[in-house]
Amino acid sequence: MNKEEIIAKLKLIIKPYTTNTEAYDNLTEDTDFINDLSINSANLVDIILDIEEAFDVVIDNTDMERMLDVKTAVEIIETKLAQK
Amino acid sequence: MIGNDVIDILQSRKESNWRRKGFIEKIFTLDEQLLIAGAADPEIMVWILWSMKEAAYKVYNRQTKIREYIPLRLVCSLVSQNHNSIKGSVICSGKTFHTSTILSQDYIHTIAISHFEDLNKIIEIEKQVTSKDKNGLPYLSNPFLNSIQFASISNHGRFEKVVTISSSRNCN
Repeated sequence: MNKEEIIAKLKLIIKPYTTNTEAYDNLTEDTDFINDLSINSANLVDIILDIEEAFDVVIDNTDMERMLDVKTAVEIIETKLAQK
Repeated sequence: MIGNDVIDILQSRKESNWRRKGFIEKIFTLDEQLLIAGAADPEIMVWILWSMKEAAYKVYNRQTKIREYIPLRLVCSLVSQNHNSIKGSVICSGKTFHTSTILSQDYIHTIAISHFEDLNKIIEIEKQVTSKDKNGLPYLSNPFLNSIQFASISNHGRFEKVVTISSSRNCN
């Protein structure tokens, strides 16, 4: 799975948790989940659980701590997929 | 330093399914999970502990300027509890934050502070009197004292809570 495919899949995961449609429609690697997409911090854990299910990976606590923007999420997913 | 967090209970039911598999384990320590499992109302305990973590994180973030998603490293303890108020503490990276939580039928509101003696000096203010610094953090400027006071703003669902630590000099 290449980076574009990961971002596309991630974008679908994020959709139900954001209320900021403009930032969502213009999502890039630099998009921040909380500051740009106004995602509730309690829903960040849902995004992490959804990523685990959708990509069949395990996000450990250290990775979770950095999971604040699209770029980092993609990096973490890429690393986990490469380890499989 | 001060941080606060309000949770609209109806809104939380729309936004979150705390019973979802893995949810509790990702954000609560084993001791916190025991508090939830043993609570008369586990749902309310989930959001009490979450609001404690959020309020304490705001102080931690303001002190350290570090942004990270660290619910498991914000370790909550309950110190005293009655039907509508809970005192507690949250420890993170060796720092202790003291918390005061108010429970109402519709919301849970926690205030966290770094200095214990400030817990008695918390006041709610109007958002209009606050400004934001270059990091987007709210403060209250006091032209008479030529000083600024930290403030904290939390919004969720139907509720907005804006708090600061009152300066005793203001009472004069």
